[in-house]
Amino acid sequence: MSIVLEHLTKRYGGHPVVNDVSLEIADGEFFVLLGSSGSGKTTVLNMVAGLSGVDQGRILLHGRDVTDLPTQERRVGFVFQNYALFQHMSVADNVEFGMTLRKMPAAERRRWRDELLELVGLVGLGQRMPRQLSGGQQQRVALARALAIKPDVLLLDEPLGALDAKIRIELRRALRAIQRTLGITTILVTHDQEEAFELADRLGVMSFGRLLEVGRPEALYQRPRTEFVATFLGTANLLVGRCSADAVQLGPVHIPITRRLDSLSQPGNAWPHPGACNGGAVRAAQRVQVLFRPEDVVLASDPDTLAAPPFGLGQVEQVVFSGAFQRLRLRLPPLAGVRPIAPPVAFGDDTIYVEAVREQADVDRLPLQPGERVWVGIRHFHALEHPGLHFLLLTDGSPQAQAALALGGQLARLAHARAVVLGYGLQGEAMQRHLQQAKETLGSGLAALDVRSTDDPPARAVQRETERQPYDLIIMGFGQANSLELAESMLQSGEHNLLLAPRAQDAPTHALIAVTTGEPGKDDILFAGRLVRHVGAQATLMSVVEQADDPAARQRAERFLADGIRSLEILGVPAQTAVRSGVVSKAIAHELAANDYDLLVLGTPLADREGRISLKGVVGQVMSEAIPCATLLVRSTVSSYREPVAIDTVRV
Amino acid sequence: MRAAALSYLALMLIIPLLVIFQDGLSQGLAGLWQAVTQPVAWAALLLTLRTSAMMVLINTIMGTLTAYVLVRYEFPGKPLLNALVDLPLAIPTLVTGVMLVILYGPQQPIGAWLERTLGWRIIFAPPGIVLALLFVTFPFVVRAVQPVLLSLDRSVEDAAATLGAGPWTIFRRVTLPPLALPLTSGALLSFARAVGEFGAIIIVAGNIPLRTQTAAVYVWGEVESENRFGASAVSVALLAIAFTLILVVDLIQSRRQEGGGR
Repeated sequence: MSIVLEHLTKRYGGHPVVNDVSLEIADGEFFVLLGSSGSGKTTVLNMVAGLSGVDQGRILLHGRDVTDLPTQERRVGFVFQNYALFQHMSVADNVEFGMTLRKMPAAERRRWRDELLELVGLVGLGQRMPRQLSGGQQQRVALARALAIKPDVLLLDEPLGALDAKIRIELRRALRAIQRTLGITTILVTHDQEEAFELADRLGVMSFGRLLEVGRPEALYQRPRTEFVATFLGTANLLVGRCSADAVQLGPVHIPITRRLDSLSQPGNAWPHPGACNGGAVRAAQRVQVLFRPEDVVLASDPDTLAAPPFGLGQVEQVVFSGAFQRLRLRLPPLAGVRPIAPPVAFGDDTIYVEAVREQADVDRLPLQPGERVWVGIRHFHALEHPGLHFLLLTDGSPQAQAALALGGQLARLAHARAVVLGYGLQGEAMQRHLQQAKETLGSGLAALDVRSTDDPPARAVQRETERQPYDLIIMGFGQANSLELAESMLQSGEHNLLLAPRAQDAPTHALIAVTTGEPGKDDILFAGRLVRHVGAQATLMSVVEQADDPAARQRAERFLADGIRSLEILGVPAQTAVRSGVVSKAIAHELAANDYDLLVLGTPLADREGRISLKGVVGQVMSEAIPCATLLVRSTVSSYREPVAIDTVRV
Repeated sequence: MRAAALSYLALMLIIPLLVIFQDGLSQGLAGLWQAVTQPVAWAALLLTLRTSAMMVLINTIMGTLTAYVLVRYEFPGKPLLNALVDLPLAIPTLVTGVMLVILYGPQQPIGAWLERTLGWRIIFAPPGIVLALLFVTFPFVVRAVQPVLLSLDRSVEDAAATLGAGPWTIFRRVTLPPLALPLTSGALLSFARAVGEFGAIIIVAGNIPLRTQTAAVYVWGEVESENRFGASAVSVALLAIAFTLILVVDLIQSRRQEGGGR
């Protein structure tokens, strides 16, 4: 192995920008790290080069542990996005810089320099100054300069990012050829998918500091394991459905897993085996995410001529000409129990959109205009394991914590969530006993249960937990003196939602979702809806307007709530609306007292500029009244990588 | 508009310059030369050039270092320190002189200690002049180097490091070369400024002919003793030096601009 990264972690201001990245790259391999900006990919490269320190983990280059070596001794060739040439030196001097430092004899130096300039296609330009060269030529010089020291590995940080489209493609080919010629192990960092696909022997996709998946480009494109990679690479149609032994079920639509399907799809890319998703065994009727690419969609004017299992009758929404292909967006009626993930659906919209792409020959055979109806079939699909929800249950053994544990356990069971119990504030034996007891009471029927204990203050322990594994929901007791501060620190330590349990209760049957109208409110509804759907409860969507006699505000609220109801119905949650007026906290308290709610859902206030979240406002006021039931604080924008709603799909 | 601006320039700059040149040359070049080379005047001029050169040497090194630290390092109080750099421009130079006398005067603890143990006399001696000049010209090199250093791409230094260059090699071969021109122009400007310094020097060095009398102080002495020609002659010499330096600085600036935006 040329490059081995073991559990690399790098933090800035306590926040991990690279989070437990492990990777092995073989000799001569061209490896591409792909990710959007801020995903930590460049930091990984800088760590390999020694330009950035390592907080945890090890780096091995050709078996040599270089973790603590300075950059100068690592023997890495590095190419920067902005060329980083020495402007006051000629091209030849730039290339020779590293060789003179290595005391290479002059004659040998000149020979190797000329060889390199020939390799990168700059013969005869040695005496030019960098500023006399074009961007593409400057980057070629930078490449020659990096190769001049005969490095062990070559590291390229978005080397083509600053170049024009045409030059970029030209240099991309040159880069691939040079890498092949020299057989040098290479890591290239980029956010450009096309570049990644074309260059990579293998590809790693990074998001939020984590290396999500590694594999050959075509494997990642066709058989991703995670929702993020499925939607990040290329255009995806991704729906939540069910997978049984012989079919994928999208609501009432069965798409059989048959020999015929196998033979229809390209060899090697077929649905692996009946009953097997992702190489792992699939239990009967397991929830899965069903992925099919635009090129897997077939269109026909009637279902009998469809060359693939039918998915439904759709309406053409949009037709876009793009050179050799035609891209279509189709609109299909809602299917009960099917939640579309990509393409994203607008709030309150209950249709399913499907992206399709056709070759010109198919366009000629069946011309389509927006508004026309057409049968949609799926030629080939891939099922991903549905990630499910992850809960973190906090306990210090107090009665409130016991209530939270009991409620959390019930919710986890109903939602098929993976749960981790984190004990804090107890010592030795008491902790052991408490956790053992928690494990026994919660254990049965959970998808997965882990039990851990910590001596740290809970906020820090939770932060470390969430770095290891993001959670959808943290569940804790509420009612002790410092509960509000503790809740604030919990919200600050990650991107999770928070459920506060003031007393023992059963799983909720009727939720009051109090929302503000507008963007944050939509997220509140969507996450609350998922949870409420799992426990089989009904919901009341409530909005509070300031003045009772403001018909415009009231109408706005009603419109918004109507959209919310539709979103909840798509999730399968029966819901009704309520518009109240007056002081928000008072109105909520009044509504809680008047009806039999057993779950209150509130939006979490946005963080201020320093990242602090204060619950002193509406949330604090509501919580200071005697809260009769569990309260769910929903994050306004949950940006964990398992929520693709916030991520644009990128077209190939 | 243009006529007004040009007239103003002539009135404020060119006419006074012409007058002093005319006065200095009123006894011909030979007369001027004689006036400048008579022992007291010549010693004053030499002292001026020597102390200024000494100042430039120290200022170039320390000014670059200061600019480097201000650009590359983060530390508490950095914005304040950065603002302080310009302070010498605003402080009356007489006050500068007084400060140095209070600090290094022979009756003061530090001054007395330096003189007793090291035999260094600061005040009423050339070292005092150099100190005064260093204080007065402190911003010049720092402010010339700082913007260039700020615009330098850190990745260039990183690139050198990956190629095997240690910190000192990186500084010498990568960071310093682009700084050469701004550094030179900053140094020359500070030299020009130092040659004409009067206020701080008269307090710090006094007015001892042949020993601590600089050219500017000499000119003042000549004016006081109503020897107008002696004053004009040395003034012309000082002007010639300043004028040459400014021309060179201008040349450097224009070369830098031709060098392109990078």
